[in-house]
Amino acid sequence: MSEINYTKAFDELQEIVHEIENGEISVDSLSKKVKRAAELIKICKTKLTSTEEDVNKILKELSSADEPEAEV
Amino acid sequence: MPEIVDNKQVFTLYEVASSIRKTLAERYTSAFWIKTEINKLNIYAKSGHCFPELVDKKEGKIQAEMRATIWKTDFDRINQNFKKVVNEPLKDGIKVLLLATISYEPKYGLSLVIRDIDPGYSLGELEKEKKETIDKLQREGLFGKNQLLPLALLPKRIAIISVDTSKGYSDFIKVIDQNIFGYRFFHMLFPAVLQGEASIASITRQLRNIKKIKKHFDAVAIIRGGGGDVGLSSFNNYQLAKAICSFPLPVFTGIGHSTNLTVSEMVAYQNAITPTELADFFLQKFHDFSVPVQHAEEVLIKRVPLFLINCKTDFKNITHQFKTTTKNHLAGHKKEIHYLSTGLLQETRFRINNEREVLSNIKQNVLKSTKDLMKIENLELTRSQNTIQKESLRFFVQQLDQLKNTEKIIQLVDPMNVVKRGYTITSVNGKNLRSIKQIKEGDVLNTLTSDGNINSKIINIEKNP
Repeated sequence: MSEINYTKAFDELQEIVHEIENGEISVDSLSKKVKRAAELIKICKTKLTSTEEDVNKILKELSSADEPEAEV
Repeated sequence: MPEIVDNKQVFTLYEVASSIRKTLAERYTSAFWIKTEINKLNIYAKSGHCFPELVDKKEGKIQAEMRATIWKTDFDRINQNFKKVVNEPLKDGIKVLLLATISYEPKYGLSLVIRDIDPGYSLGELEKEKKETIDKLQREGLFGKNQLLPLALLPKRIAIISVDTSKGYSDFIKVIDQNIFGYRFFHMLFPAVLQGEASIASITRQLRNIKKIKKHFDAVAIIRGGGGDVGLSSFNNYQLAKAICSFPLPVFTGIGHSTNLTVSEMVAYQNAITPTELADFFLQKFHDFSVPVQHAEEVLIKRVPLFLINCKTDFKNITHQFKTTTKNHLAGHKKEIHYLSTGLLQETRFRINNEREVLSNIKQNVLKSTKDLMKIENLELTRSQNTIQKESLRFFVQQLDQLKNTEKIIQLVDPMNVVKRGYTITSVNGKNLRSIKQIKEGDVLNTLTSDGNINSKIINIEKNP
């Protein structure tokens, strides 16, 4: 999951919450929005409590990127 | 004493060295102040003596180079005093004003024996360097550049530049890894020297490394701790500060000290006084993200059912209201319709009666008028009939009279009647004879009488006179 995704998820969640809190939501769209919000909450919570980065992979990438260091 | 070998005066090396020592000792009798830079300090931990490598640079190029000596007792005193004033120990690359004597030992060669160092001079030089760094970065438009970068909503992937055995690093890791909220950070250590002159190259090298794999990180944290307030002047170095300014990710500093901010801290995206405070900053970012998410969850759990209940109630109320209103409305309409229909009935009846009367009047009028008209016409007809009868009778009588007269006239003119009265009718060749011109002698004449025909021959014709 990329950075933009969870930022977008967060923003979208905020928007839905705002709509619900201000009663701007219609009963028709409520179930859809609630479902979506639940999804977004899951995405955000996952982002808070997990990580996908792998040190070994990064180290490998770093060593392969080492060659063209002549400019420095 | 030199010996003579093949007519040559030959000295031993020791004799030469001793001579140099004697000459120098006589020439340089007292100590003097020298402005220079310590290129390498070279402390010998075992003996505690120090053998600095001094250089004099002009525009980056070495103009003079000399070894020096600080004996342990001098060094301890000088370094302590230096630290007190400059907040830095004596270190590589520092500019100093030192009091020294020239010493030449045959076994060790030439060196300056340092008796004292004026820390005030070095402090001034360091301040000057700091100011120069700031000025240069500002001139180049780099000074606040890192602070303008956008920080990820959740800065959870942190590249840490630190020393893995340092207290600062372990404090930082402890706070972000053992948080009770379950927040999970990804951090990776890029080991570096964080103190003294060597830190400049060490930190910038790791920044370069991180730059190559920057997509895996949200932020860089330069963490130092447990070093006290000393050895920080490298953070005023132009190269290091520039590397931070122009780094593509937000760079955070938590280098733990209580003195004035270094340039690196000034230009960092954010500076924390201690590594723990820096860790708290990251946790706070997670809170800032987590609290609204939790709130959203609460809204879903509490507000949505409430919302639905409200909707239900609203709906119920509206339905009820609708029912009542409709009922009332219908009742009202019913009444109105009743009034209207009654009114319509009455009106209709009234109208029909009215029209009926009018019609009846018209009928009577028509009847009467017709009768009158017929009477008049009848009279007229009778009169016409009479007139026609009278007139036609008169006409017939008149015609009859006329006929009678005509008959009389006709009877009068009938030749037979004339013949009867004694007249005859003479004709020749079927034609009535009217003139003598019609005849000639010898012609046969036919004479009609009342009782027969006579044929006669003309003998003579006499014309009337």
